[in-house]
Amino acid sequence: MTPSTHTSAPHVRKRGGNTVEPYLYLLPFAIFFALFVIYPVGYGFFVSLHRWDLLADTRPFVGFEYYKNLFTPGTPQAEFFWNSMKNTVFFTAVSVPLLVFTSLGLALLLYRPIIGRAFFRAVFFLPGILTVSVMGILWRWMFDNQIGMVNAARTEIFGLQPLAFLSVEGLAWVPIIIGTVWWTIGFNMTLYLAALGNISQSYYEAAELDGASAWAKFRFITWPLLAPITLFVVVTTALASFQLFGQSLVITAGGPNRSTQSTIQYITEEAFTNNQFSSASAMAFMFGLVMLIFTFLQFRIMARDARGEN
Amino acid sequence: MALPAQQTTAAPTARTTNAPGGRRVPRDIPRFILLCVLAVLFLAPIYWMVTTALKAETDVISSPTQWFPAHPTLDNFREVLTSPDGNILRWMWNSLFVATVFTVVHVSLCALTAYPLARMRFPGRDLIFWIILGSMMIPWVVTLIPTYLMMLKFNWINSFHALIWPGIAGAFGVFMLRQFFLGLPKELEEAARLDGANSFQVLWKIILPLSIPALVTLAVFSFMGSWNNFIWPLYVVTDIDKLTLPVGVTTFSQRYVTEYGKLMASTAIASIPVLVAYLFAQRYLIAGLSTTGMKE
Repeated sequence: MTPSTHTSAPHVRKRGGNTVEPYLYLLPFAIFFALFVIYPVGYGFFVSLHRWDLLADTRPFVGFEYYKNLFTPGTPQAEFFWNSMKNTVFFTAVSVPLLVFTSLGLALLLYRPIIGRAFFRAVFFLPGILTVSVMGILWRWMFDNQIGMVNAARTEIFGLQPLAFLSVEGLAWVPIIIGTVWWTIGFNMTLYLAALGNISQSYYEAAELDGASAWAKFRFITWPLLAPITLFVVVTTALASFQLFGQSLVITAGGPNRSTQSTIQYITEEAFTNNQFSSASAMAFMFGLVMLIFTFLQFRIMARDARGEN
Repeated sequence: MALPAQQTTAAPTARTTNAPGGRRVPRDIPRFILLCVLAVLFLAPIYWMVTTALKAETDVISSPTQWFPAHPTLDNFREVLTSPDGNILRWMWNSLFVATVFTVVHVSLCALTAYPLARMRFPGRDLIFWIILGSMMIPWVVTLIPTYLMMLKFNWINSFHALIWPGIAGAFGVFMLRQFFLGLPKELEEAARLDGANSFQVLWKIILPLSIPALVTLAVFSFMGSWNNFIWPLYVVTDIDKLTLPVGVTTFSQRYVTEYGKLMASTAIASIPVLVAYLFAQRYLIAGLSTTGMKE
């Protein structure tokens, strides 16, 4: 069902750009793009420079006050914002290598034929289709301090003491990270499987003639040839991990004692719970600046693709 | 607000996996066992969800743990489905409605936009393309709060408009379809032109039918992105009747904070639509993820 915005004008010989036709096609997108992509960026910056009280009549200009707050020790904004940044960086630093190597490992296990390969692929891919809230509720229940499956297995099968995963600082990261690996591994695994399928067998045959070990074949053939896809996986995974929100919100609610609160969670708390829209906007811009680096890398990889076909 | 980053990972390269080598039986046994162990670990949370949902509340907290439900019952499902405040079927319908409208409009809009960018020459074409592509660099968190304030101004809080329109001009879809359109043969288009077809007829009768794989892939991504969206509906929708499924389920988790049987029944019900969709679309979904239909 395509909305017909095009009034069929008499066809003009296509030489250069003497027709409005292309612009008519672009118009509907342009309207939404201007309204919901371009305008909000400027508007958000404007809000961050004013004291934006929803109920007040005036919204005085305060300049970079809300940005300065983030660098003024002692303000709750500075304390909680940088605490949340520390948590987010920690989560990214732990989850990215874990997600890259586990998904590569799974792909290596699965790319050669084996009985039930389609079934295994489906099983490892399956968790990724669940929504983040279902995944979060599920893992909170798995790691429930008293009656979760993990503690039941610890005590009844391995004879260990139960651990209060959800209410001990540090330990609360365990369900979040394991849940995230479980949830997203299938996507990366699929990318790696496709990349492994593209490696020519002749490399391995040549290496086998030279008597190369399995490790040598991986180290000198597979790993270097996977470098482009690994770069892609690292960047997209880092981008996704840095935007941690739903997993920690649902599994630990950012606790205990804000020790798993992500930056996006704190920004939304500042905006929607504390009604500090200007302060939250300033944080969003600060955070966005850091994310821009990851996004820029991803953009470069995709743009390289685009140019190749032009 | 368009596609959550976790789901937009699109492969730049690659075909389907080809199967190298013969089957070496002795070596394969450890690999098979390892895969079985991993599969059991991966399925454990799903198993725990389903069995908990089938237990009475006293059996959930019983010690020693009931690894198999001793007295399976559907009471939790019945209670969750008939809960007076908050109706899981209503949320499912809301999600379905929002995601369907979003997908239809989004894919149409992207196709209309990608068409001139790929198949026509006009001043500013490359600049427009790079502006659209460059917008993917804007982290969505930057637009979250201003867009929320706009929704307040438009009076769109608690309305499906807020869930559908702000993410509709997503650059990824334009990029993907443009790449696909670029690769289509010129000859058919020229023949149609000679027969007097206008540009819209070319799009409708030639380009779009040839692009069905790419359109379906984009539609699947768009639908999943909208269906799975969590953070945005969490704040722009507060009416219990207007919630989408992912957010609705979390209200159950606040209510049934100690009643895990009911909570797991609600998550199981919430997972059924995606599981069914996955079983039907599985092959296509995995292939689409690894090729993105971008190169053919």
